[in-house]
Amino acid sequence: MMDAAELQRRAKRRVAQLDRRRRDPRYQRVLGRLVGLGLLTTNESVPQTREPIDVADALWAAEVEPRIAELLPALLVRRPALFAATDALPDDLAQAVAALRRNEVPAEFRGVPGVNLHRWLTSVGRKSEPPSRLKAFRLQASDIALLTRLREELGITETAVLRRGLRALASATWLREQS
Amino acid sequence: MLVAIAERLDAWVVERNLEARAEGMLTHPPCTIHLLGQTALLELGVPLRLAVTNDVDVHANYGAAIEAELRRLLKQAGKELDPLGEEVWMPRETRYQRLYAGEFVTLKVADADAVLISKALKAPRKNRALIVEYLARGATPRFMQLAHKYRVDLEAFL
Repeated sequence: MMDAAELQRRAKRRVAQLDRRRRDPRYQRVLGRLVGLGLLTTNESVPQTREPIDVADALWAAEVEPRIAELLPALLVRRPALFAATDALPDDLAQAVAALRRNEVPAEFRGVPGVNLHRWLTSVGRKSEPPSRLKAFRLQASDIALLTRLREELGITETAVLRRGLRALASATWLREQS
Repeated sequence: MLVAIAERLDAWVVERNLEARAEGMLTHPPCTIHLLGQTALLELGVPLRLAVTNDVDVHANYGAAIEAELRRLLKQAGKELDPLGEEVWMPRETRYQRLYAGEFVTLKVADADAVLISKALKAPRKNRALIVEYLARGATPRFMQLAHKYRVDLEAFL
């Protein structure tokens, strides 16, 4: 087993490598943007930027600071406008993003457990709600008329009418099961 | 920042308890909030480079109403109470330093050695840079003892 002095000597060598990576503009840009957005807090001064984040830079920076990898998939789902391009994502990142879009817990991504990726879904966006998914139905004209009437009378959106209706139905069903 | 939040939380509990007493209702008992994780390191001002996400890990003995108020106060400050905070493992030898003591709310912070051992043992990959930097600065004999006791393989970080 290594003694404390040898441990410190080797750690100093590793820190020198880490320092070099932390001075890299890719790390500085990504960290600066995330600190500027209030998603990360550091105890050192980081030049803040408003430039879009390059996903490749973020993945590179995440090797130095894994908390960037923890936030990245949720940010791609909730705040895609923060990124320069979100089309050609690496497979593992694309899979994590796809799972989060379905509001599912993804597989581990670059050492970050899926549950830690999923928990940011509701807190990195502007609204603290999980993402919604498109679902299409074929409705009769009378259903559409009813939906429109409810929308107008309640002063809410058609989606909100459907959500309320579903919850009312679930609650009524639950009540029947209990009695 | 956490001290200011604890002060506001204490004021809130004082107010609720006054109302409860006036109405003959049960009051909130005193509680202690133990601050853990990266936030603890940040509050302690350890000379290590920290990048902290917005979640705050705590162990606390408060009821649901105080927890909800703390959650609200943290949210106002752009922070989030980690729902899994209670599951954070801390060594039995953890020492807690008092940061704030109000009438009903006490805020304590876990010592840096214990926080770092917890991180090294439970999330080594995520905290590799942090542990390496700490080792390079010269770990305390207490940290080394805790690492030995909890079988943290420090060489694996290098």
